[in-house]
Amino acid sequence: MSDLVTGIRAQVRDLLARRRVEYVVGYETGSDGVNARPFFAYTTEEADRLVFDNTCTHNLTKYLVEPERRGSTIGVVVKPCDARSLTVLLAEHKFPRDVVAIGVVCPGIVQRTREGGDGEAPQARCQVCDQHTPPACDILVGEATAEGPVLDQFARLAPLEAQSAAERSAFWSQQFERCLRCYACRQTCPQCYCDECFAEALDPEWVGVRIGRAENWLFHAIRCFHLAGRCIGCDECERVCPVKIPLGLLNRKLRKEVLDRFEYRAGTRSDERPPLETFRKEEKLDLA
Amino acid sequence: MAQSTADTPRTRAGQVEPTAIWQPRLVGFLCNWCSFAGADMAGTSRLTYPAAIRIIRVPCTGRVDPLFVAKAFQRGADGVLVAGCHPGDCHYAEGNYYMRRRYVLLRDLLEFLGIERERFHLEWVSASEGKKFARVVSEFTSQVAALGPREPPRQGPTELEAGTSNE
Ligand code: SF4
Ligand code: SF4
Ligand code: SF4
Repeated sequence: MSDLVTGIRAQVRDLLARRRVEYVVGYETGSDGVNARPFFAYTTEEADRLVFDNTCTHNLTKYLVEPERRGSTIGVVVKPCDARSLTVLLAEHKFPRDVVAIGVVCPGIVQRTREGGDGEAPQARCQVCDQHTPPACDILVGEATAEGPVLDQFARLAPLEAQSAAERSAFWSQQFERCLRCYACRQTCPQCYCDECFAEALDPEWVGVRIGRAENWLFHAIRCFHLAGRCIGCDECERVCPVKIPLGLLNRKLRKEVLDRFEYRAGTRSDERPPLETFRKEEKLDLA
Repeated sequence: MAQSTADTPRTRAGQVEPTAIWQPRLVGFLCNWCSFAGADMAGTSRLTYPAAIRIIRVPCTGRVDPLFVAKAFQRGADGVLVAGCHPGDCHYAEGNYYMRRRYVLLRDLLEFLGIERERFHLEWVSASEGKKFARVVSEFTSQVAALGPREPPRQGPTELEAGTSNE
């Protein structure tokens, strides 16, 4: 058993024994015996089922915004990127500050494909991760490590950015064509929590219920824009998509522009307003 | 002839010269207090500007939800103009400052999705700037006309719905 697992279990047992939290959302080993899945520990015995390894891909802060959990004191196991979600959600007042964040020093998560042939290659987000020690957590599990150099997170954008508008339009038509509008991408995103999503609103009916080209396009344009300055880059939306639409490209594009224009990176600082919630009178942006 | 835009066969973007027949379809979101009044001023001053623009009055540019803009493009608009009070002159004090940030990011995203940045324009036009309004609309119309018709996200079912990928 790794030190991380021992550390998490000890901390969670303590939190539950002291009744500091009602329950803790963490990971356990799934039924395939390999891949982790979300797990809710209510008792000190259940705390011993918690694990942490390089298959813990889910961003568990998603559970915290579920309406039925409001009013409970919850503990949650977070990787550094998940901790950025927590910062965004706290700034948006989605739950009270008394949530207990158990931050784990993250070794990186591996890619898993449905087709099997599971390699041990790190996920795209982990290859360019520059924050392996969780920021601003209540409890830290693992040895804080010195962070490596800041890597180019946006390299993946260059080929598409180099194309003409018509080529990009054709590229996205092909991608969105496959979309089933299953909304898994939305359901998995911690920052997507509206009680009524525009995509399903009937009055006015913005998108339309039909799974058609025009409808899919509008869903994707706006889903992405609703994450502008809020997406923390976990790529979970892309991972869960059953038809492999490269949503990570869209999100990355906006993260890049938000960083370039406003020097803002979602979830890294709690003392800054998200870029679309504020302005500076004197800024010109690149307008006349 | 109002029908002509819809009936003109569309060829690929960039290949169509602005002609007497093809006029771009433009949507303009104008704030009630400045730019809508500016458009009114253009009218009462008998200034002419291209009739290709369909004007939608909004209380403030701050009210312009990105969804309005994307919806216009989804339904086949060739260009979208947003116009409102100059910075500092917003009737609600700061709506246009929010719009300004939203605009630059939305333009970045739309461009990445394949809608040229020249098709989405933000302009400040005050109530007394009737002349400016006419000029802005003329310039924007020729700018979009030069790009040619946009290929809107094709209407119709996806492959999936048509059953081709069910095999
Ligand atoms: S998960 Fe994929 S298929 Fe489902 S709605 Fe999102 S993009 Fe479409
Ligand atoms: S896509 Fe937009 S409206 Fe829908 S849940 Fe996410 S943030 Fe809310
Ligand atoms: S990468 Fe996807 S799931 Fe993660 S925060 Fe961004 S939009 Fe949400």
